[in-house]
Amino acid sequence: MELYVPILVLAVLAAGFAVFSVGIAPFTGPKRWNRAKLDAYECGIEPTPQPIGGGRFPLKYMITAMLFIVFDIEIIFLYPWAVTFDKLGVFGLVEMVLFIVTVLVAYAYVWRRRGLDWD
Amino acid sequence: MGETFVFWVLAVVSVIAALGLVFSRKAVYSALMLGVVMLSLAVLYAVQDAPFLAVVQIIVYTGAVMMLFLFVLMMVGVDSSDSLVETIKGQRFWAVLAGLGFAVLLALGIGNAFIGPAKGLAAYPQNVPSLAELIFTRHVFAFEVTSALLITAALGAVVLAHRERLTPKLTQRDLARQRFKEFARTGRNPAPLPGPGTYARHNAIDKPALLPDGSIAAQSVNRYVARYEKAEGTLPPEVAQALESDSEALELEKE
Amino acid sequence: MTDTITAPTIEYLLLSPLLVVFGAAIVGVLVEAFAPRYLRAAFQVPLTLLSLVAAFALVIFVVVKDGVPNKAAAMGAVAADGPALFIWGTILLLAFVSVLLIGDDFVPSAVAVPGSVEEERAVSEGAAHTEVYPLVLFAVGGMLLFAASNDLLVMFVALEVMSLPLYMLCGLARRRRLLSQEAAMKYFLLGAFSSAFFLYGTALLYGYAGSIDLSKISTSLSSVGGQDSLLFIGAAVLGVGLFFKIGAVPFQMWKPDVYQGAPTPITALMASGTLVAAFGALLRVFWVALGNLEWDWSPVVWAVAILTMVVGAILAITQTDIKRMLAYSSIAHAGFILTAVVATAGAKQNSLALSGILFYLVAYGLTTVGAFGVVTMVRDPGGEAWHLSRWAGLGKRSPKLAMVLAFFLLAMAGIPLTSGFFAKYAVFSAAVSGGAVALVVVGVVASAIAAFFYVRVIVLMFFSDPAADGPSIVMPIATRGVVGFAALATVVLGVFPQPVLDLASKAAQSLFVR
Repeated sequence: MELYVPILVLAVLAAGFAVFSVGIAPFTGPKRWNRAKLDAYECGIEPTPQPIGGGRFPLKYMITAMLFIVFDIEIIFLYPWAVTFDKLGVFGLVEMVLFIVTVLVAYAYVWRRRGLDWD
Repeated sequence: MGETFVFWVLAVVSVIAALGLVFSRKAVYSALMLGVVMLSLAVLYAVQDAPFLAVVQIIVYTGAVMMLFLFVLMMVGVDSSDSLVETIKGQRFWAVLAGLGFAVLLALGIGNAFIGPAKGLAAYPQNVPSLAELIFTRHVFAFEVTSALLITAALGAVVLAHRERLTPKLTQRDLARQRFKEFARTGRNPAPLPGPGTYARHNAIDKPALLPDGSIAAQSVNRYVARYEKAEGTLPPEVAQALESDSEALELEKE
Repeated sequence: MTDTITAPTIEYLLLSPLLVVFGAAIVGVLVEAFAPRYLRAAFQVPLTLLSLVAAFALVIFVVVKDGVPNKAAAMGAVAADGPALFIWGTILLLAFVSVLLIGDDFVPSAVAVPGSVEEERAVSEGAAHTEVYPLVLFAVGGMLLFAASNDLLVMFVALEVMSLPLYMLCGLARRRRLLSQEAAMKYFLLGAFSSAFFLYGTALLYGYAGSIDLSKISTSLSSVGGQDSLLFIGAAVLGVGLFFKIGAVPFQMWKPDVYQGAPTPITALMASGTLVAAFGALLRVFWVALGNLEWDWSPVVWAVAILTMVVGAILAITQTDIKRMLAYSSIAHAGFILTAVVATAGAKQNSLALSGILFYLVAYGLTTVGAFGVVTMVRDPGGEAWHLSRWAGLGKRSPKLAMVLAFFLLAMAGIPLTSGFFAKYAVFSAAVSGGAVALVVVGVVASAIAAFFYVRVIVLMFFSDPAADGPSIVMPIATRGVVGFAALATVVLGVFPQPVLDLASKAAQSLFVR
C-alpha cells in the first residue's frame, strides 16, 4: 500500500495547486469588466459561428489519436521491462529494441506520408 | 479494513457515475462519467494488489481510449443524436430479451461457480516483475507479434484518414511574396497588426498600443472588444477618436 | 532481486515461415514510407510474392530436414506439428494465388468521397494504396499464427493480427465503394464483438484451469473439480468467437455482406485463408484443450454443423448475386467440414478425421479462389458483374471461362472427378467411422440442395441467350494464371488425389502437439 503514498501526495499537491490558483485569482488580478471576457476564449478573439450539430472535429485528428494510442501501448510494455531490466539482461534488451524498432517503422511511415504535418 | 472502506466509497462513486453515464443527455458528459468509472476501477485494482492493471487502466483506458471516445464524439458532432427508428421490426424487443437472457445465464452460471483458490498469484508473488518475467519468457513471441498490430493500426489510420496533399504546400516565402504583391497592388500593410499594449502601461487586450508620440495606434484596437465597449458606452473617448480618424482601420472593419 | 531471468529458447528454424512473412510485411511498410509513389507497386508485388514463396519453401525445408516436427516452439507459444505445417503450406499457397488476383480492385484514395472531384484527381495523379500488400502479409502472418497457436493468449493476438488488416482491406474496394465501406464496418463491429467473446471465454477458462495453455487446460479437466460452470460457460463463449470466424450458423450473418462488399481478391483470401486458419484454431481448441470434454461439446457442434449445412445451402438458393451465393456456399462448406470435427474417438479415428479436414481445406480453398478469380474477370462498365442475370449466356459469349466456372461449381457440389468429391468423401467417411452417420445424411441432403443452385448457375450460363449488352471479359495474365492453376488443381485432386491425401494423413498422423 505504501507503494501509492507518493502518488497520493502528488495528487494532493496537484489538486491543492489547482484550487489555490483558481481561488486566489479574484483577489490578486485586476478587474476590468468587458463582455468579451464572457465569450469563448475570453481574450478578444471572435468565436466563429458554430455550424449546426456543434463544431465537428476534422478527421485528421484521427492520425494523431491513433499514433498516441500506438505509443501508449508501447509504454505499457516498457513499464514492466524497465522494472526488471537488471534481471532480464541482454535478451530483454534485444527483445525490447526489436519491439521499439518495429513500432518505429509505423512512425516512419506516418512521418514520410506527412501524417504529422498539420494542414 | 482500508480495502473495505475504499471499496464502499468507490462503489458508490462508480455506480453513480455509471448511472450518470447512461442517463446524461449530452454525450460529452457521458464520456466524462465513463472517465470517472474507469478511474474508480483503477483505484480498485490498485487496492487489490494489482498495480500493473491499475497503471494500464489509467494510461491506456482513461488516457487513450477515453480520449479516442471524446475525439469520435467531436468528430461526429457533439449535438448529433442517433436515429431511433427501428429498421428491423421488433428488433429492440428481441435484442433486449436476448440480452437479458444472456445476462441471466451468465449471472446464474458464474454466480454458482465455485472459484477455487487463486493459482496464478501464488506462483508469482510480485505483480510487475512477475508479469515482466512472463512477457519476456513464456509470451515473448506474442509480445513481439503485438507490434504487427500496432503497425496495422498506424497504417489503417493513414489509409483511412489521411488526405495526401496533391498540390504543393505554400511556404512562408510564398506567403510573404503574396503579401507584398498585394501591398504593391492595393497598398495594404504587409506587416502584422501591432499588438495591444505596446508602449502602454498594460498589455491587456483592451489597452491599445501607443505610438512613439503617445497617440493611440488605431490598428492595435481589438475590434471585437471595442464593439462591446461601444455598446456598453465604456469605450474611452481617445480610442473612439483614434478609430474614427484612422481610415485604414475603418476599411479593415468593413472587411 | 539479483537473480536473473533465463532467456527463453526460440526455435527460429521452426518459426521461420512466420518470421519471413512478418519481416516482409515490415519491409513493405518501409517501402511505403521511403519509396516514391511510382516505384511502390514495383517493389511491393515481388516482395509480397517472394516472401510467400520463401515461407512456403521454408515449410517444406523444415519437414524435409528433420521430418515432421512435433513440438511447441518459442517456449510453448507456437505449436509446430504436422497439422500446423500442413495448414501453413495451405495458407501460404492460397495467399499467393489470392495476391496474384489483385489488379485494379483497390481504391486510389480511401479518404476521398466516392465520386468526388478529389477522387478523380487522385486517379489522374496515379495515386494508389499499395499499403494493401503489407496489410495482406500481416493478415497472412496472423492466419499462420492463429492456426498454430498453442495457448489462448497467442491465439487471441493472432486473431487480432489476422482480422485487423482484413477489416481495413474490406473497405478499400475501388467500385461500389459505399457497399465496401458498409462491409468493412459490419465486419469490424461484428468481428470486434466476437473477439470480445473469445477473450471472455479465455478469461473464464483461465479462471477454471489456472493456465491458458491448451494442454494444461486439457490436463486440468481431470484434476480440477467443482468449477464446471466456469468451464462450460468459458468453452461455450470461446466457441462463439471461433464459430464466428468460420462463419457457422448462427454466427454467419457477416459472411454474405462482407464477401460481397470486399474487393474480390480479398474475398478470395478470406474465403480460403481465413477459413483454413480458423479451422486450424477451432480444431486445436476443441481437440486439444477441450478434447476430454468431448461428450459435452459434441452435441452442440452437431447442432451447429446441421444448422450450418442446411441454412447455408438453402439460403444460397435464394441469392441472385454471385458473390453472395459463393458466400453462402462457403457457409455450407464450413458445415461439411464440421461433420468431421465431431467425428472423434481414438487417436486413429482422430487422425483420419483430421486428414480429411486438411484435404478438404486445400481442395475447397483452391476451388473457391478460382471461382472468385472468375468473378473478377466478368465486368460491367461499373465494375464486376455480380448479378446472376448478367451471367446468362456467358457460355455462348466466352465458352472457356464459363466451362472453368462450371467446373469449379461442380467441384463445390462434390461431383466425381473433381477435388470436391474426394474432399467430401474424406470428411464424410471420417464422420461415418466416427459414428456421426446422421450428420452425414444431413450433409448429403445439404449437398444435394447445394448442387441445385450450382447447377442452376451452369444452366443459366449455357442454356440461356446472352443479353445484347452483356458484360465484357477482362483477362489479365495473372488472373488467368490463377484461374488456370486452380482449375488444374481441382482436376488433379479430383483424378489423382492420392499424393495430397497421403500428405494430409502424414501430417495428421501424430495429431496436435500437446
